Amino acid sequence: MEPIDKIILGDNQFFGINHMSEEKAQQLAEKFYDINNIFKVYQNAFDAGIRAIMLNSNDRAKDICAHFRENKNQYSDMAWYPSVPYPHKYANLIAEKGIIPTLNEVLFKGNTTIGALNMIAKGGIAVLAKDAMKMMQMLVDIEMKMFKGLNIKVVFLQNIITDLMLGYNVKEVFYEYCEYIRKKYHALPGLITLNMPYLKTKLEEWNITGVVICTSFNKIGYLMSPDVNSYIQAAHNNNKAEYQLMAMSTLASGAIPAKQAYGFINQQNIQSVVFGASDKGHIEETVKLIQL
Amino acid sequence: MKKIRIGIIGMGRMGITHYSIINSYPDVQVESVADPSGLVTTIMNKYLSAKTFKDYNTLFNEVKPDAILVCTPPALHYPIAKKAAELGIHAFVEKPFTTKYKEASELAALYTQKGLVNQVGYVNRFNDVFVKMKELLDNNIVGEIIRFKSEMFSCTITRSDVSSGWRATHENGGGAVFEMASHAIDLVHFLIGKPDKIMGSSLNHIYSKNVEDAVSATFLYKTGKSGTIYINWSDTSYRKPTNKIEIFGTGGRLLADQHSIKIFMNNENAHYHFRKGWNTLYITDIFKPVSFYVRGNEFTRQLYHFIDCVEGKVQKNLCTFSDGANALEVIENIFKDYEQNGRI
Repeated sequence: MEPIDKIILGDNQFFGINHMSEEKAQQLAEKFYDINNIFKVYQNAFDAGIRAIMLNSNDRAKDICAHFRENKNQYSDMAWYPSVPYPHKYANLIAEKGIIPTLNEVLFKGNTTIGALNMIAKGGIAVLAKDAMKMMQMLVDIEMKMFKGLNIKVVFLQNIITDLMLGYNVKEVFYEYCEYIRKKYHALPGLITLNMPYLKTKLEEWNITGVVICTSFNKIGYLMSPDVNSYIQAAHNNNKAEYQLMAMSTLASGAIPAKQAYGFINQQNIQSVVFGASDKGHIEETVKLIQL
Repeated sequence: MKKIRIGIIGMGRMGITHYSIINSYPDVQVESVADPSGLVTTIMNKYLSAKTFKDYNTLFNEVKPDAILVCTPPALHYPIAKKAAELGIHAFVEKPFTTKYKEASELAALYTQKGLVNQVGYVNRFNDVFVKMKELLDNNIVGEIIRFKSEMFSCTITRSDVSSGWRATHENGGGAVFEMASHAIDLVHFLIGKPDKIMGSSLNHIYSKNVEDAVSATFLYKTGKSGTIYINWSDTSYRKPTNKIEIFGTGGRLLADQHSIKIFMNNENAHYHFRKGWNTLYITDIFKPVSFYVRGNEFTRQLYHFIDCVEGKVQKNLCTFSDGANALEVIENIFKDYEQNGRI
C-alpha cells in the first residue's frame, strides 16, 4: 500500500465545527465566512511544509477545490484526502422529506450524468433498490464531483456512515466501497470510524486490506469506543502494510495541550495525523510536534 | 445464553440507526423488521438475515419477538404498542410516544399492569452532559431552583411544504411541538419536574402550512418556580440540532448545551471543586465511553439500557411510557392554551 502523508490539514475549523464549544464554533464560522481567510490558512500550512489536505464534501468545499484547481501550478504536489458524504445535508433532507424522496432528490434531481439519466429511464429509485451497491456508487460519485482534477490519494467514508454500516455487520458494503474507490478513483479506500478496534477486527475477518483507517486518537479516550487501551493495543498489533492508521481529534477538542497530545501520539504505532488549526503559529507548532 | 429476539417496526431514519446500534449488543438478535417500503425490504432481504414484513401485524403473528423497537410515524405507535402488550412483548417506542395523552396514559397503565419493559426514546436522558446536570441539581448545586429556560434549535425545515407525508399534520404527530419541543419538554421534566400550569403559549408558522415551526410557552409550578421553553426548527444559523438549558437558583446559575456546562456559584463547593464565580465542565471532562458508537453515546446508552431492563439486569427504567405520557400531557396543554389564549 502506498504510504500516506504523515501530516494532513483537516477542515473542521473552517466550517464552524467545534466539539467543545458552540461559541468557539460560531467565532470560527464568522472568521471563515470570507473564503479568502480559508485560503490564507492553506497557504500558511503549505509554507509550513504541509502537502496534504483532508476535506469533507460540503457546499463550501466546492469553492476550495476550485481555488486549488485554478492555482494548480502553485500547489502541484498537494495530495487530497476527501471525505464523503456531508452528513448534515442528508440528515436535514431526510428529516424533512423521508429517506426515499431524499434519495430521489439527491440521485436524480439536477443530476445529468449519463448514469443517472439511464437510471431514470429504467425506473429510478425502484430499480436501483435491487442494486444497492450501484446506488452507493452513484452517491459517492455525486459527492466526489467537486474534487475532479485534484490529486486524490484517499477517499474516506465519514464515520456516521462507516459506523452505521459496521453495526449492520455486512461485509459486501465495505468490500464494494473499497473496490470502487480503487478502480474508479485510483485512490486508497479510507474509513473514518469512532470504533477503530472493532472495525479493524471486522475488516481482518472479512479479509479486506489495503485500507486507511482514520479514527479519534487521544490519551483521554474522547470519541474512542470502547476505550483508549483497546486503541493502543489495536494500533500496536497493526501491520501498516494492511491498514494505515490516521489519528484525528488528537487534542480532544482542545482538552489536551498540544505538546502532551503529540507526546502521546508519537509513541503510538500510527502512520499519520490529521489536525485542524487556523492560526499560523499553531500550524507551525503542530508540524514540529508530530514526530511519527 | 438465549439471545433476545428483537423486531424493529418502521425503518426510517431512526429505525435504520437503532438497528445498527442494537445489533452491536452481544445478547441481541435483530430477527425481524416491518416496513411498508419495498425499497427498504428489498435491500434488507439481500444483505441481512432478519425476516422482513410489510406490516407489523404479520410480524407479530409470524415471529412474535421478545421485544420491539417502534420507529414508525407517531400516529401508528399506539395501535402497535397496544397489540404488543397483548402479546406480552416489551417495547421501546420513539418519541413523542403517541399523538394523544389519553392513549399514552392507557399504554403506560397497560405495560405496568402486565409487567412489561417500556421505554420512550427521549435520548437526552442518556446524554453525558444532561446526566451530569441532573446529578448536580440532585446535589442541590444551585440551591432552590427559581427560573429556567429550555431551548432547542435546528435548521430542519428551511423550505415551504412541497410534499405532504406524516410530518404535515398534528393528527399524524408532525410539527415542531411533537417532533422537537417534546425533547425540550422532557428535558425540563427530567431535570426540574412537570409543570402544574402552562400559559403564554405561542406557535409560529415559518415554512410549514399546517403545523408550527416555532413554539414558546411558560411553565408554572405550585412551588413558585417557573420557566420558559422556546423551540425553532427553521433557524438556519444552527448547523445541527442544539439543546440549550439555563437554570437559575438561589445558589447560582447553570448553563448547558450538548458540549458543556457552565456554572456560576455564589459560594464555592468543595465536593465538586467548584470555585465561587464561573466554572466550566466540558464534555471532554464528563463523557463516559460506550462500547459501540454510531450517533452519540446517548443513542447507544438508551438502547443498551432497554436491553438491560429486558434481561432483568436493571430494574428501574430511566424513561418509561409514563414519562412519555407526561410530555404529551404538556404538549396538549400547550395546544389548548394557544387555542384559547394565543390568538389576537
